[in-house]
Amino acid sequence: MSKKLTNNIRRLRFESEEMSQQNLADKVGVTRQTIFEIEKNKYSPSLEVAFKISNEFKVPLEEIFIYD
Amino acid sequence: MGFSYKEKNLIASLGITLLVFGWYFYQVFSNQMLTLEHEFTFNDILRPIILIVVLEIIIQSFLAGKNKNKEDERGALIESASYKNGYWVLSIGVWFLLIQLLYIGSGGWYDILKNASPSFISHLLLLFFVLAEVTNFITQLYYHRKGV
Repeated sequence: MSKKLTNNIRRLRFESEEMSQQNLADKVGVTRQTIFEIEKNKYSPSLEVAFKISNEFKVPLEEIFIYD
Repeated sequence: MGFSYKEKNLIASLGITLLVFGWYFYQVFSNQMLTLEHEFTFNDILRPIILIVVLEIIIQSFLAGKNKNKEDERGALIESASYKNGYWVLSIGVWFLLIQLLYIGSGGWYDILKNASPSFISHLLLLFFVLAEVTNFITQLYYHRKGV
């Protein structure tokens, strides 16, 4: 069975005082549509964007993105 | 989900290209202006291109004023994948034209192209360029909606 990259960004946003997609997008330097696509697992971000998201939530990368 | 800034941008570019070049090719091909008697100059082809540039500047500046969104890595990826599709359309068109022009035979396109003026062939080439650009816009819109 092939593995798939999933993430917890949606949950982390809500735990961060219900941060909006636009707010997160502005902080990591992408568009709101990109955050929307990442959350739906339709787009895998670059390592740079992944680290920026990780820094934003102050959570290790492997707790945000799961390859399983 | 509504249209993003980039999608609005693409729809505007697609609309302008279809409108200006649709009108241009309709004039050129339906009125049979491509005869040896009608001398086509480079200015004839330049006119719709200038019109597109002017319309693009007006519409894009209007859209940019309303949006603060920027390009990002996903946009760049979509653009690169779409250019590849446009390149395929252009390649098919150019190879089709080359084969038809060099093919020793008779009937169909061979007869049309054998008797065609250089203007007609130039306009066919231009048509393939425009089709490639339209493919690029449509696939970009598709990838922005459905994911890449």
